[in-house]
Formats: sequence, C-alpha cells, structure tokens
Amino acid sequence: MSAHEHPQAIGGKMLDPLMKTLLSLFGLSALVMVYRFFTGIGPVSNMTDGYAWGIWEPINVVVFTGIGAGAYSVGLLCYLLNKGKYHGLVRPAVLVGAIAYSLGGSSILIALGRYWNAFWLADVPIWNLSSALLEVAVCVMAYVTVLWVEVLPALLEGAAASQSPYWSSFGKKWGPRLQKAMPFIIALAIVLPTMHQSSLGGLMLIAGTKVDPLWHTWALPLLFLLSCLSMGYGTVVVLTTILKAAWKAKHDQVLFAQLSKVNAGLLFAYVAIRLVDIAAQGKLRYLARLDHHLFFFLLEMALFLAPAFMFLSAKVQRNPGRLFGAALMAVAAGALYRVDTYLTCYDAGAGWEYFPSIGETVVTIGMASIGMAVFIFIARKFPVVVVDDAHGHSNVGAGQVRTAASR
Amino acid sequence: MDNSSSGDNLLARLEAKGVSRRDFLKVCTIAAGAVGLPAWAGEKMADKAAGGTKPSVIWLHFQECTGCTESLLRTSHPALAEVILDLISLDYHETLFAAAGHQIEEAMEEAIKANKGKYILVVEGAIPRKDGGIYCQVGGKNAIDTLNRVAADAGAIIALGSCASFGGVAAAEPNPTDATGAPMILKGKTVVTLPGCPANPYNLLGVALQFATFHTLPKLDKLGRPEFAYARTIHEDCPRRPHFDAGRFAQKFGDDGHRAGHCLYKLGCKGPATHANCSLLPFCEVPGAWPVGIGHPCVGCTEQQVAFRVPLHTTIDVERPTAPGTYPAIHPDHSVVAPAAVGLGGLAVGAIVGAGFIASKKLTAESEKHEERE
Amino acid sequence: MRISRRSLLKGAAAAGAAGAVTALAGKAEAREPHPPLPDAVGMLYDSTRCVGCRACVTKCKEANKLPYDAQAAQGTEKAVYDVPTDLNGTTKNVIKVFKDGEKFAFMKQQCMHCVDPSCVSVCMMGALHKEGKGKFNYSNENQGTGIVLYDKDTCVGCRYCQIACAFNVPKFEWFTPVPQIVKCELCKHRADKNKGGAYALANPACCEVCPREAVVYGKREELLKEAKRRLAAEPKKYNGKVFGETEGGGTQVLYLAGAGVTFKDLGLPELPEESGAAFSEHVSHAPYLAGLTPIALYAVSAFVISRNQKKEEAAEHHEEGK
Repeated sequence: MSAHEHPQAIGGKMLDPLMKTLLSLFGLSALVMVYRFFTGIGPVSNMTDGYAWGIWEPINVVVFTGIGAGAYSVGLLCYLLNKGKYHGLVRPAVLVGAIAYSLGGSSILIALGRYWNAFWLADVPIWNLSSALLEVAVCVMAYVTVLWVEVLPALLEGAAASQSPYWSSFGKKWGPRLQKAMPFIIALAIVLPTMHQSSLGGLMLIAGTKVDPLWHTWALPLLFLLSCLSMGYGTVVVLTTILKAAWKAKHDQVLFAQLSKVNAGLLFAYVAIRLVDIAAQGKLRYLARLDHHLFFFLLEMALFLAPAFMFLSAKVQRNPGRLFGAALMAVAAGALYRVDTYLTCYDAGAGWEYFPSIGETVVTIGMASIGMAVFIFIARKFPVVVVDDAHGHSNVGAGQVRTAASR
Repeated sequence: MDNSSSGDNLLARLEAKGVSRRDFLKVCTIAAGAVGLPAWAGEKMADKAAGGTKPSVIWLHFQECTGCTESLLRTSHPALAEVILDLISLDYHETLFAAAGHQIEEAMEEAIKANKGKYILVVEGAIPRKDGGIYCQVGGKNAIDTLNRVAADAGAIIALGSCASFGGVAAAEPNPTDATGAPMILKGKTVVTLPGCPANPYNLLGVALQFATFHTLPKLDKLGRPEFAYARTIHEDCPRRPHFDAGRFAQKFGDDGHRAGHCLYKLGCKGPATHANCSLLPFCEVPGAWPVGIGHPCVGCTEQQVAFRVPLHTTIDVERPTAPGTYPAIHPDHSVVAPAAVGLGGLAVGAIVGAGFIASKKLTAESEKHEERE
Repeated sequence: MRISRRSLLKGAAAAGAAGAVTALAGKAEAREPHPPLPDAVGMLYDSTRCVGCRACVTKCKEANKLPYDAQAAQGTEKAVYDVPTDLNGTTKNVIKVFKDGEKFAFMKQQCMHCVDPSCVSVCMMGALHKEGKGKFNYSNENQGTGIVLYDKDTCVGCRYCQIACAFNVPKFEWFTPVPQIVKCELCKHRADKNKGGAYALANPACCEVCPREAVVYGKREELLKEAKRRLAAEPKKYNGKVFGETEGGGTQVLYLAGAGVTFKDLGLPELPEESGAAFSEHVSHAPYLAGLTPIALYAVSAFVISRNQKKEEAAEHHEEGK
C-alpha cells in the first residue's frame, strides 16, 4: 500500500439534478438572508432576547465547525504522529474543513447585528482578551485562511495540469514553494483548532445560571475539544464512504478500522470524563429528574457509547456499511452534545421559549447545501479525491482487517 | 381702572342688558385664561375694551356654513355673545350686518383705510381656486382677490374654523372647487389657524384680545395653531381616559359599555390623534357640550389629516401612548413557535436521520453480500 | 504497515492531550475576583416602598428618548398603549408585579451594574464596558464609577452579552437592520455637575421621579449602609437580606424585598458569590499560561511536522532507489 496515491479531478457533468437541488435550496436561503439585511433579524427568525443565538450559532457555527474538524483530526494523525498512510484522506478532509469553517464564518456575519463594525477586529489593541468569543472569532478567521492555504496545493496542481500556459507555469512555480512552507502552516492548523474548539465550549462557561448543571462544568472546553475530534474522525469516514459510493473513490477498510479505533478511544474518554465530572461535582441528583434534560443526556450517552462499542467490534470494522453507520452516530453524538449545550439544555428563564422559524431553518439548510455544492464543484474540477483505479479493490483488504481487529 | 366716557358707555350699555361688570370681567378672564395669560391680563383686556380701544375686526365669509359664527352667537347667556361682540369692533361681517350691497362693501374699504396695519382679519370658510376662483364671489369679486386685498393691510390674520384653516368640508374628496384654507393662499404671512368644526369662540376671543392688548400673537405650532389650545390631544385630557387605560371600551352604540360611559376609542374616536382643547373649555359654557361628552366619538375636526378624510367610525393610531393600568408578570410569556416551522424543522432532522439510516442499512447489506461471495 | 497497540494509544492520548493537560493544570491558577470599587455608584430599590405608579417607566423612556413599545403586547401592529411587558429593545426599565395568593410585591427591573459584569467580560471589543475602561469614545468618561456603559461603535451585535447576563438585561433591537444593544446606563448623560457628589457622575431619571423614594441613587457603599439600616430598623418588614451585596460577585443596584417574598419570587436569580466572569475567565484562561501554551504547541508542532516531512522525503527517495 503506497502512501502516495495521487488524487485526481473527478470531472463529469456539473449541473446534475443533485447540484440543481442544492443550488436552489441555497437560492431560497439567499432570499431570506438578503431580506434579513433590509429588515433586521427579527422578521426572519424566532430569535428573542432570551434565545439570542437561535439555531444559527449552535448549528451553523458550532456544529458546522465540529464537522469541519475532520481536517484537524486527520492532520493530527497524519502530520504530528506521522501516519503517512492517512495522506489520501487529508485533501477531502481539508476541503470539507475549509468549506465548513467558511460557512461558519459567513453564518456569523449574517447573524451579527452590527456586522459593519466587525472590521474593528483588525485593530488588535481594542481586543478584549477575556472574551471567549473574541478568541473564537479571531482563531476561526485565521484558521479559515490556513485551511484554504492547505487546499491550495490541490488548486495549484490543478493549475499546473491546466491547458493554459500561464496557469500551468503559475502552478508549477508556486506549487513546490508552497510545499516548503507547509509545515509551518500545518502547525498553525494544529494550534488554532485546539484553541478555538475548546473555546467554543468555554463560551458557555459564563452562562452558569442558564446552561443545565449536567452540561455546565469547568470541563466544557475539554469536552468540546474531544467531541470535535470524534466528530472529525467520524466525518472523514462518512465522507469517504459517500465518495466511494458516488465516485468510486479509494476506500481503505483497514485504514478506517484503525481510525475508528482511535475514535472509539476518544468517545470513551469523553463519556468517562463527563460521568466522572458529574459524579465528582455531586451532580448525580440531576439525573433523577424525569424531564427533557434526562432524555437528552441519555440520548447523548447512547450516541457516544454505541459507536464506541461498534468501532471496537470486528464485525463492524469489516463492514463499510456498519462502519458508516457508526461514524454517522459519532458525528451525531458530537452535534447533539453541542446543540444541547447551546440550545436544548440552555434555559433563558421562565417565560422564554424558542423553536427555529422557517426562515432560520431555510438558512441553515441552504448553508449546508451550498457547502456540499462547493465541495462537489471543487472535487470535479481539481484533484482532491483519490480514485480507485482497480475497481473492487477495496474489499481485498478484508482479510487484513480481520487480523487487525483480532490483535 | 380708566373711567373714560366711552368705557362708561359700554359698561352702562351692558348693564342695561343685564350683564354685570362682574360678568364682563369674567368673560375677559376666561379669554385670557384660554390664551394662557394670568388673571391680570384679563383685567387689562377688560380695561382696554372698556376704555374704547377695541380691536377692529374685518370678518370675511367664503365657502362655509356660518357654523363658526353661529357657535359664537349661541352662548348660554344670550348677552355674553354681545359682550364678545362688544369687546371687538366688528367693522365688517356679512351675517351680522344690517346693511347690504355696495354700502357694506364701502364700509369694508373704509375700515381697511382707517385701521391700516392694525385691524384683525378673521377668515371663515374655504377659498375655491378652480377656474380662477369663480365659485365664491361677493360683490363681483372672487374670494382669492378679496382675501389678498384685506390681508395685505391686516395686523393679524386669523383663520377661524377648519374650512378657513385647511379647506375643511369644502375640500373633502373629490374637492370639486379645489377649495383650500387661508394659509395656503396667504403664503409667507403668519396666519393663526383655529381649526374646529366649529371652532371654539373663546380661542378666537383669546387671540384677538391678546393681539389688541399686547400686540403679540400666542405661540403657534407648525400648522399655525396656537399652542395654548392645540398642543395637547383630546385623548390626553379626556374625561373617559381612565376607561381607556383600564381597557373598558364601548363596543357599539347603545351597548352596556356605551351606557356606562366607557371609552369610545373602538367606536372610532379620533381623540388620540386630535389636537384641541374641547374637554377643557366647553362650547357655549355648557359642560359636556362636545362629541365625547354626549357619547359620540371625537371626529377629529381640528386635524387636516383626519377630519373629512378618515371615516367617522374607523379607529386611529394613538399619537403619544403611555403606560397602561396593568403590570407584566415577573416572568412574562415570550414563546414564539409556529406550527409550520416545527414541521419544517422536524422534516429536516427526520430527513437527515432517515437518509443516514437507510444509507447505512443499504451499505451494510451490500457489503455482507460481498463477504458471502468471498 | 501495521498499527501497533502502542501507537494507537499514543494517537488517542495525543489527540486530547493538548487541551486536557493544560485545562487540568490550569484549574490551579485563579483569576482574581474584582472587588467593588470604593466610589462605585448605584441604586437601591425597596420593593416594600414601591406603589407601582410607573412614573419611573415613563420618565426613563423620556430621559433616554426611547420609542414606544409597539412589539411586546400588540405583536407587530402599531401600539395603542406603550406597554412594555419586559425589558426590551425599547425599554430600559420596567415595573413588574409578583402575585401569589395573598403575597404581592412590585419589582423594578433594569441593569444591575454588576461589580464584575459578565457582559463586560464577554464583549469582544469592549462595547459594553465599565465607565472609563472602554476601548474608545471614553475620553469624557469618569473613572471608578463602575457604571456599565455601551458604545455602539465597537459593538458587532453578536449578542453574547445576552447569553452571558444572568439577569437577562441587555436587549437587542430585533426589528431594524441597524440594531443596537439597549440597556440602562444609569442616566450618565443626565449627570449634573452643579449638584456635585454622586449626581455629578450620573443622575437616574427613575430615582428623580419616584414619588416614594422606593428607588434611590447614590454611592454603592452608602446605599448598602442604608439598606442594612432599614433591615435593622424594621426587621419584620423585610425578608432580611440585601440582594446584590455578594450575589454573583456583587451588584451596584441593590434590592430589598418584603417579608415572605424571596428575591427569586422577584425574578432575581440565585447566584454563587463568585461572579460568572471570574469563573469563566479563570477556567478558560488558565490553560493558556499567559499565551505560552499556544506558542509552545506551535513550536513543537512545526518542529515535529517538518522533521516528519523530511523523514518521509528520505523514505521516498529510498524507495525509489530500490
């Protein structure tokens, strides 16, 4: 197994029915967004002074960046721990990361009431360093840039292979130069997400009276960091499985089995820290309440534990379908934890209730749609996905998986 | 007090009609109070009037019903109308003059010459502009020319009633004669407008006496209305206001709420947007003698945007809302959930979960088949 | 290439290590709680004196040039009443009522001007700031008053203050494309230099018009003394506590409530003595070790990655050579 199969552009018809659906969903959301800029946030959303972030912050920012953390998770393994065999996963993961973080960033701009003042963020002396949101904002902006720089090699390779002599020489000139600078950029891509993903948890530390005691703990930053990693690994498996189904992308079952074992460790670690923390802080009594808090807590635990056990089972590791299901659950677990902390188990006080409006939901769906559309566009035009030339090759590794699992 | 002969004459004449000196002073004081001047100003006005220096008034009638003049004449004590008329020197008034024809037109010319720059011009009625203003002519002269002629030498110009102030009923849609108010004809001149249908005579008396006594005009708002009478809305000084604040409304004419004297807002009362002092200075000195007092919603006759434009029983925005008589709870209800949104949200989540489940199931089955084949 | 148990463990550990180690280590280090400023000004609201006349509500709107509340009670239609049902984008001060059987009490709600405010801690560029500590537009602000002020020029409208405030005080203008955060600024703009003392710093309109001195303005220290004096003088009249002395690190607006009425009844949250800002800052800042952690993490990552890359290149050459 060589670590350096080369990715290639998928090509094919751009405006297929899926693309048309995605673009029209985005078009719908764009209408809502434009309307929002003329009338304010109130008319398009159900956000109130009690639930000031609605679903845009918890889902569009916190969950989307969790999904985008695939780039971070794989980067850690591939570059820091030098597991070169994961290289094939890096480009799609980084692209998904770049897209997801860009969406998160633009969602913030739409949700900001006074977005035109955001340019003051460039004025470092006026930063309030005690603000967790400032750290998230600055880190996310920096990280989006880093991610797109990480996507650049694919784009430059695409340029190098282009027909146009100008672009071709441009790609050939800058590609290798960028390659030399990569370690220092990748190091940033490790530090920045470590900082802001934990800060996303840290954001809710100050809302001690509003976030339910089962969720509000000093360990929030740590739990958010762990959940982003598990979401990231899950996303990579889900993504590659879909790519294989759609475009016959290379799909290495052995690699996934190993990746999933790392993920199982993360999921268990999350559950352990969560439970120990609850017990240590004497919050076990909150588990005796029969209400939606308990329901969501149990649902989270189930969603974290089920894939953790599945990832360790040989039967699951062998079967791409089961692995896909387990990975989906790992992503859902992280997503649910994040939405619970920010919304479901956040209580603004008696009298306040919230359910997203149609406008808000349309924007969130549209954002996700344009993300998918951009991914498809880039993957079709530029070398991102490693395509399996020998069809049916992916199942050859089944024997190896058995041995790997039996160790 | 100045006891000049003409003053004695006036008081003697009044006394002969059964009006005491005390009554005379009272009227002057009411007029002073209406303009917002202290009681001594009333005395001073009485002195001046009794002293013979009565303001000369030229009163022009155009497109109108003479209601404003009528309301001035229909005071409770018949003599008080005369008092009012005695306080001013009415040199030209088509309704009240015994003379007619060329005689009266000459009288006007004389009055203009004699009191040039000092007389008060009172305009009653709207001025038609269509077809060269031919729809209102007196003595062969049309309204626009007459108005311009008299206004040119006037010391003060008062537009009495809604018609003279902004066209009133004559200017109601479709305004066949293109009627308008005096301020629109006399652009650039200060015109005191006293809208109302009819206008309250005391407001006129106050302005006239203030001008005659002090040679000043009261403070006006941007529509030319004296602030002493038109700064506050009917709603703010309404005797039915407590019912509004408590949410007690007459729902239809003659219902229990209406009989009990509840707020008439829901019946179309224009009080909340109408500036006038009807509730504070009753017509004809009869308390309650105004629409709201007798159980009818205010029609907004003093407002150009309301009177003869907004249907009588249509409700109107409150211009200056204030706090009501109920308190919010400690934790007020703020829930906003639309069933359609719940549906869409559920659909989105359901679609994601469903698609994931089906895809995973399908993939699993496929892979199992592969395994079996191996 | 086979993956060993050891490297697996290593992977899982390293994945969470960066955050875990530093977060745990950081627990030990504390952010100093902010004590009340000696010259801080505030208000004292005595629920037992309030008659619910709402002169303060009306005067507040007038003093702050706030529009009538068209949203709260009547949907989006234009208002017939100015009926604020709660603090909102057009209301900085509101009188509410607590009713439970025989128990009955009025409650005045406005910004608490916390000693260590959450909103100030979370505000990205100091739009919400303690007077004199803003990032700009603070040249004519006094020092040490502790008034929490709002500067619209550095506000991006992120609404984190609304999430962070335990009292749900900062409000947002939802129905305009150019919204602002709306909250009581203690009528700093009405400060009267001629009056001197605390009135030279701020002059709340609500305190000025209150016909029963149910709400009074002054220095926090003196108000606290006065509150305790009232408690001592008429112990049977009150519930025995001053809200805001220590709650959530202390507030500059203090509350007294009648006997049998708890502060929770009046909608005031139950808060620990440590302010939310102190807790949050100390947990999330500590791991950074004043910025050392990210720098160290970056240096180590860059070193390891470039070493790995070189190794890989060497291996590739080796393979090619074979």
